[in-house]
Amino acid sequence: MEVLNSAQALPQPRRASTAEYLNAWVTAREAFWLALETLRAHRLRSFLTLLGVVIATTTLIVVMSVINGMNLYIANHVANLGANTFVLSQFKWAQGEQAWLKARRRNRPIRISDYEFLKRNLTGYKVLGATASMETGTVIRYGGQILYDVSVTGVTPSMEDIGEDQPESGRYISASDYQHASLVCFIGQDIVSHFFPTLDPLGREILVNGTPFRVVGVAKTIGTVFGQSEDNFVQIPLTTFRRIFMARPSIDVSIQAWSAAQMPPLEDEVRTLMRVRRHIPYQQSDTFGINASDTIMTLWKQLTGSIFAVTIAIVAVFMVVGGIVIMNIMLATVTERTHEIGIRKSLGARRRDILTQFVIESMVMAASGGALGVLLSLLISRLVNLVFTSSVPVSAIVVGVGLSAAVGLFFGIYPARKAAQLDPIEALRMEM
Amino acid sequence: MQSQIETAYTPEWESPPDDIVIRARDLWKTYEMGAVQVHALCGVSFDIKRGEYVAIMGPSGSGKSTLMNLIGCLDTPTRGRYWLNGKLVSELTDDELAYIRNKEIGFVFQTFNLLPRASALHNVELPLIYNGTPAAERAERAREALRMVELADRMDHKPNELSGGQRQRVAVARALVNHPCILLADEPTGNLDTATGVEIMNLFDRLHHSGNTIVLVTHEHDIAARAHRIIHIRDGRIDRDEATR
Ligand SMILES: Nc1ncnc2c1ncn2[C@@H]1O[C@H](COP(=O)(O)OP(=O)(O)OP(=O)(O)O)[C@@H](O)[C@H]1O
Ligand SMILES: [Mg+2]
Repeated sequence: MEVLNSAQALPQPRRASTAEYLNAWVTAREAFWLALETLRAHRLRSFLTLLGVVIATTTLIVVMSVINGMNLYIANHVANLGANTFVLSQFKWAQGEQAWLKARRRNRPIRISDYEFLKRNLTGYKVLGATASMETGTVIRYGGQILYDVSVTGVTPSMEDIGEDQPESGRYISASDYQHASLVCFIGQDIVSHFFPTLDPLGREILVNGTPFRVVGVAKTIGTVFGQSEDNFVQIPLTTFRRIFMARPSIDVSIQAWSAAQMPPLEDEVRTLMRVRRHIPYQQSDTFGINASDTIMTLWKQLTGSIFAVTIAIVAVFMVVGGIVIMNIMLATVTERTHEIGIRKSLGARRRDILTQFVIESMVMAASGGALGVLLSLLISRLVNLVFTSSVPVSAIVVGVGLSAAVGLFFGIYPARKAAQLDPIEALRMEM
Repeated sequence: MQSQIETAYTPEWESPPDDIVIRARDLWKTYEMGAVQVHALCGVSFDIKRGEYVAIMGPSGSGKSTLMNLIGCLDTPTRGRYWLNGKLVSELTDDELAYIRNKEIGFVFQTFNLLPRASALHNVELPLIYNGTPAAERAERAREALRMVELADRMDHKPNELSGGQRQRVAVARALVNHPCILLADEPTGNLDTATGVEIMNLFDRLHHSGNTIVLVTHEHDIAARAHRIIHIRDGRIDRDEATR
């Protein structure tokens, strides 16, 4: 009989305050664990149910990551031509297909003489530099080893102040190298890691298309962009470049202004000088391109804008499909678990408790689909990074999981309401 | 007893005295079956005092379960009034009834009605979840209730890992965990063999001894004989209301 003492000790029911009773937190937490439990119990079914949400989230995050990665690239490399720098070249870099076809017919290459003309006539610039490149068809040898398609660029010594290529060891191409058209080179880290993994490259001679060049400097690592290494280069004096490889190359002229504010007037000055030099009538367009970082940024923003619009449409479609599938499975779950709902109601679960339980279940289900999508997109992002560029922003993960949870909430409400409105007696009568 | 109720009929639309746990007046339950009306209950009136041990008997289909569901606030009467613990509950909303079910009533079903995927402990915790009891206190009180029905060593078992009698004891523990003012049981031994049925009935006897008010439905006379009062129902009406001791 002593086992019953506890019941005797509390003969009067302990009256819960209304606030305590209304405490939905306990039921919500309970529902959360229950939802995870249910998910685990029906793993395959849940996965199939969540496919739409998984695909939607994955698509969203992968696209966001690629755009983010390209943004980083633009910010780090293109936008960073060097501070306050613009480039005069044969073509405007970023323009529509029509304009480009037209420019291809009309535009003429920039020559060394143009560079020297600018150097004589342009006023108020900070640094002026010129480059000429061979991107393909190059063969670099050292010892028995060969590298193909290394970018070989002829530069003016002033490029050290403009570009990204800072010496890690040794020095950049000097004014004296330039004057004497010396056979010296400044190499990127890829060349070092191929030819001189253990040796100090300084002072050694490499063969560039058969001509020996002495290494005078090694650049700091730059990294990969769009899956392309930016460290795979050999820079030589522009004078040497002309002497050995190309007497009359098409060049790019880099012009650095003193400040951002000085950029537009300086660009205008370059444009005017070039038009005068080329005798372009005033009603005709330029036969050269002036490229500043904002040229590219503008185009880039237009491009990402349209990519985003398409992505949002796709994601929306998948999310709605995924949501409807979830709603369907939740309706089935409610039918399947009518008896359970009856039991819970008979024990004092209010409509709101049942509603919460099933809405949370639907949200947890959808959100775990979102989480799966996040994992998948992290994986895809890594793969993409091998050939292109991609960087998963934290916001994408939050948006992905949050959006799926919201879809679960929205499409879970109807089934949960059906569950909440069941009559306790009728629900209890439904045997499993 | 019946006559008592009838003489006191009119003034008793007001709240009943404190020692009356249940007061039912002219309860009707009518089911509309298409054009046909089925009267499951036709004007049932009775009082149950605190600490009483009442059995409800009657032939199949006489309306016993219907009555129990009304008493247990699982259902609402078509007509009539019903006070539980001094509160008029026949006119409450769904959520208010849920509150009453949670706090004032312990219901034991013939088919146990346990959640099949949950442990005995979790099943007993369920009513506490719906009044927001914090997890630690919940587990403590559920353990205490299971100890009371001598199932302390089976807490982590799922219902299908328990015998019929053990399942019913889990259900009793669940009914008691919130310390309700009344324990209702609709044929609690209906799905059990005789020996197990006796075990459960002994438990009810002990619970009554320790001060619980109990109303149970049964078909069997020797089970009904344990109660102190038997209400006989026939065709939705109280046929006989007798004290057995
Ligand atoms: N949901 C319903 N719809 C229609 N009629 C119902 C419903 N529930 C019960 N009834 C009817 O009400 C009457 C009483 O049913 P009830 O379940 O209360 O009987 P009972 O006394 O519990 O019988 P048993 O001893 O077989 O359990 C029966 O005639 C039954 O058909
Ligand atoms: Mg019955």
